[in-house]
Amino acid sequence: MTDGLGWIDRRRLLQLLGVTGGALAANLPDRVFAQTRKNTLVLGIDISDTITLDPARLAQYTSPMTVAAAYDALVTMKPGEYINVAPGLATKWGRTPDGKGWRFTLREGVKFSTGNVMTVEDVKWSFDRVINLGDQPSQYIANVDRVEIVDKSTIDIILKEPKEPLLSIIAAPEFIVMERKVAEANGASAAKDAKTADKAAQWINSNSCGTGAYRIAAWERNQQIQLVRNEHYWGGKPPYERIVIRHISDGAAQLLAIRRGDIDAAFNLIPEQIAALKSETSVRMAPLPSLDFVYMALTQEPEFNKALAVKEARQAIGYAIDYDGIVKNMLGGAALRPAHFLPIGVSGSTEEVARQIGFKQDLVKAKELLAKAGFKDGFEFEISYGNAAVQGVTYQDLGLKIQSDVARVGIKVNLRPVDQVNLRTEYTTGKSKGGVLTFWNPPAVDNWLWAGAVINRVAKRVHWTPPDDVRKLVAEAATETDAKKQADLWVEWQKQMVDQANHFVLFQPVYQIAVRNTVKDFPLTAAGWMLDLYGVKPSA
Amino acid sequence: MSIAEAPVSLRPIAPVQSKLRRTLRRYSLPAIGAFVILIWIVVAIIAPLLSPYMPSTVDVTARLRPPSSAHWLGTDVLGRDVFTRLIYGTRISLTTGVVVVLVGAVIGTLVGGIAAFARGRAEELIMRTTDLVLCFPPIILAMAIAAALGIGTTNTIIAMLVVWWPKFARLARSLVLVQRSQEYVEAAVVVGLTPSRILLRHIFPNSIGPLIVLVTLDVGNAIITFAGLSFLGLGVIPPTPEWGSMVSEGRELIEQWWVAAFPGFAILTIVLGFNFLGDGIRDWLDPRSRRR
Amino acid sequence: MPQYILSRLFLAFVMALLATLVIFLLANTVPGDPVLAQLGDMAASNKEFVAEWRAKWGLDLPLWQRYLIFLERLFHGDLGVSISSQRPVLQDIRDFAPATLELASVSFVLALVVGIPLGIMAAVRRDSWIDHVARLVSLIGVSSPTFWLAFIMLAVFYGGLQIAPGPGRIDSIALPPPSATGLYLIDSVLAGDWELFHDAAAHLVLPSIVLAAATLGLITRTTRASMLECMQQDYVRVARAKGLRYRRIVIGHILPNALIPIVTLGGLAYANLLTGAVLTETIFSWPGLGRYTFRSAVTLDFPAIMGITLIVAVVYLIINLLIDVSYALLDPRVVR
Repeated sequence: MTDGLGWIDRRRLLQLLGVTGGALAANLPDRVFAQTRKNTLVLGIDISDTITLDPARLAQYTSPMTVAAAYDALVTMKPGEYINVAPGLATKWGRTPDGKGWRFTLREGVKFSTGNVMTVEDVKWSFDRVINLGDQPSQYIANVDRVEIVDKSTIDIILKEPKEPLLSIIAAPEFIVMERKVAEANGASAAKDAKTADKAAQWINSNSCGTGAYRIAAWERNQQIQLVRNEHYWGGKPPYERIVIRHISDGAAQLLAIRRGDIDAAFNLIPEQIAALKSETSVRMAPLPSLDFVYMALTQEPEFNKALAVKEARQAIGYAIDYDGIVKNMLGGAALRPAHFLPIGVSGSTEEVARQIGFKQDLVKAKELLAKAGFKDGFEFEISYGNAAVQGVTYQDLGLKIQSDVARVGIKVNLRPVDQVNLRTEYTTGKSKGGVLTFWNPPAVDNWLWAGAVINRVAKRVHWTPPDDVRKLVAEAATETDAKKQADLWVEWQKQMVDQANHFVLFQPVYQIAVRNTVKDFPLTAAGWMLDLYGVKPSA
Repeated sequence: MSIAEAPVSLRPIAPVQSKLRRTLRRYSLPAIGAFVILIWIVVAIIAPLLSPYMPSTVDVTARLRPPSSAHWLGTDVLGRDVFTRLIYGTRISLTTGVVVVLVGAVIGTLVGGIAAFARGRAEELIMRTTDLVLCFPPIILAMAIAAALGIGTTNTIIAMLVVWWPKFARLARSLVLVQRSQEYVEAAVVVGLTPSRILLRHIFPNSIGPLIVLVTLDVGNAIITFAGLSFLGLGVIPPTPEWGSMVSEGRELIEQWWVAAFPGFAILTIVLGFNFLGDGIRDWLDPRSRRR
Repeated sequence: MPQYILSRLFLAFVMALLATLVIFLLANTVPGDPVLAQLGDMAASNKEFVAEWRAKWGLDLPLWQRYLIFLERLFHGDLGVSISSQRPVLQDIRDFAPATLELASVSFVLALVVGIPLGIMAAVRRDSWIDHVARLVSLIGVSSPTFWLAFIMLAVFYGGLQIAPGPGRIDSIALPPPSATGLYLIDSVLAGDWELFHDAAAHLVLPSIVLAAATLGLITRTTRASMLECMQQDYVRVARAKGLRYRRIVIGHILPNALIPIVTLGGLAYANLLTGAVLTETIFSWPGLGRYTFRSAVTLDFPAIMGITLIVAVVYLIINLLIDVSYALLDPRVVR
């Protein structure tokens, strides 16, 4: 060091590093929210998919939670009850006298967040806007012919196909009531030319004009959504002054934040991170049941795969998969498994039913079926999947698990990772040559939406033509009014679908949300908006 | 200026070193590099003898076990033995690295050599094409091509080759241009030898040194790039064990560090091996460093 | 000389256009359909709806027409609207670029501050322990896979020792400073929020070390080689013979000359840092261009892919142009 070129000696260097290390630790910010904290609810969640908060343009996964807090629909669904709807802005409903639609009686004295009283015009206008904007939500109510005002507290929704279900669909946050005057003042339109005339998207993204418990105060993309209390809420004074939905994309960061108490709930933890929270006494795990599921669709087009065209061969795959290993080991038990396309919790689908009629691993039976199908020595097929994960389990890991399971009965799987776009293109256009691992989440809660999808859209993708009696069965089940009979019809339908063996439901996630004990009530719901924000209450 | 010719050592103090020590110093890094590469090659070949497990055996009841005597490097999310997957993974990394660089070098050298000899429009066209490829960041271009071709080892290699050849083309062209102006080549031209003969018999042997250096250093580079693409999900098709995808599978498991840490360390050692070796060869071929 | 610069400028322009064409064709050879990827299941099954959506994004037009539309908009400074975020691509890029710029700049400075002195020391004290350390550091730097280094850093300093903050630009619960430049280090100072400045700086430590590693290796090596080259020049011997102090020779004579190739390399390395942060940004959840690019690529968001490629290519071309021009200024023989 005689040259003195400025090189620091080793001791000094270590000192410096030590100091830096210490300084870093000291600087880990201790965010203090103490003064406002009690009245503020902070949620940590990945909301990168939120690209709009306009109900009439809604199509994402996380945005409905915010919309459902700011607006109310005519009817709603209570957590845990996914068969019958509950009163919302309507207190009573029934069929119209001519039987062509539904008649709703509006709740008295409901006020918007501006303090103005909700009128029947607001309701009609809101429905018209969804229909005339023609964005994705309009598809779900394609069966609605028109909305008619009867008197100042009664409104009719007239259907094209009167028998098809409506109530559970319009419980979704896409079909809420907006304050017409405010919306129009900010560029909204419900006219026939709304597609081009409506310029309100930007305003609606950071404001709201609904009757919900909270009002949207700000939305900063990929950062946070802020809601403030609606002082005019018809359901009593909402407990929080402010709700902050913080965008935290990364599970590890959510884990840290909830440990430190910076957030009250963490939504995107993987099983390993949940296990790390076990020892934390101030945090509890709240199960968020879902009506989503992960499934494998199997084509039966003989041109693609001769073996898969044989029903027994497909059934053999169904009996070879180790479903328990997937649910118990890979997901740590945080999942259910329905028998077929009706998630557990809806009419005709319970855990008991799933146990009785669903596939279970039975290698002997699988081998018998293979022999019966004429493929005693097994066969080959491919499984395509995208680069994504559900509940911390990647499709790739599921594929690998199935690959190794079916190998035990001599079936060879070739895995085929594809980007999401190609995967969807192939699948929706019926070009998948083997199995497809994918995810199903319904736009609204109704058996008909699932069953209709299976016999119409999804059947086409796997090249199956549903026979007339299956179609008749679905129609019967969808329109049956007796609850018990309806459930039985749905069970019968599931039985037939399991036998058909085109779809294998692998699991129905029960997401694990970490909630701090500063929060008492945390009503998570599977109905599509994850959390009833108006029902969240702090502990005393 | 006679003073300039006086040999002045720049070293303030010139310690007397034994020749042996200096030789050791000079050759120790490349020797270590060569040794590391050799070990990995042996491991790749005898992989089945080194582990009682199969690389793709899934056992979800034994998932995420920490390193132990049964599983030396622990198990991954599907209960597969990390050590077994790691040693089998050597095969893919070594082959893809070597294939990409060798094929890229052959194509690039040919194209660059042709450019230097053809001159004129053809040269302009070739060099602009290399410019065009080089104005994309390699990983982004390779990503786009791999996405367009579909996921799979061969497709990823093709994508990498598209990105890889231009640097060899540029090097080859400049080397040939330098040699071309040398007297012996001019003499050969005067004598009437054909361009291809001049290129192959005279210019090529004289330019091979820098190419060898680039090739050796580049194998490491190629291994890292391939692993990076695999990490992003664009490399091998599972269940083929591959280091980049192994790191990717463990990237969120900070508490189960063994899943990602060991395969990444394997990449580091093998790439370091190639870089030590390439660096050594460069020193050895570089006349300036040989002088002392 | 102006003519030379003009001709190079023209060439760069043509290259940028060609680059968009290449990416355009590449993106369109993919069999996937971006419309189906963006729509919900029900909407995606309705043919009319898909057709309408396709028309909305101009995807129903023939290939060449779509390219022409892209070019025409481009001349009006419009890069189109991203399909997945439904916002102007330029706005997206403007939002994501500062994160990358900040990370790349800090890494670059780090690489220079450590790399150049290390390279100089290595050259001056050739074959000494410091030369070996420098060599080892630079070799390890270029040999470490970024994504793995990032993981190890996080596992050790965040997960294990808990002395470094986790992924992201600032603490998960902190809100970014009011945006003036988009660079949090500067914005937080402007806002007078020192706590936030510390936070942002702390979050930069790990990712910038990871990103700097490879560049550091490169810069150390180049500095050393360049120094050695210059040390053998005649003027050094003259200076030495004149009896100048060794330290003065190194700093006053060798270094300025040795820096020229480093500047060139530095320019390229900086461009690489700006564009090559895909892997680092992925692991550190860094909301920058690298992640944006990757996401756009996997969702086949054509407008976004085209826009970002164009920007990247332009940055590359400008830097290359600057290098060419500086060479021409240094060595007039380049201009034929």
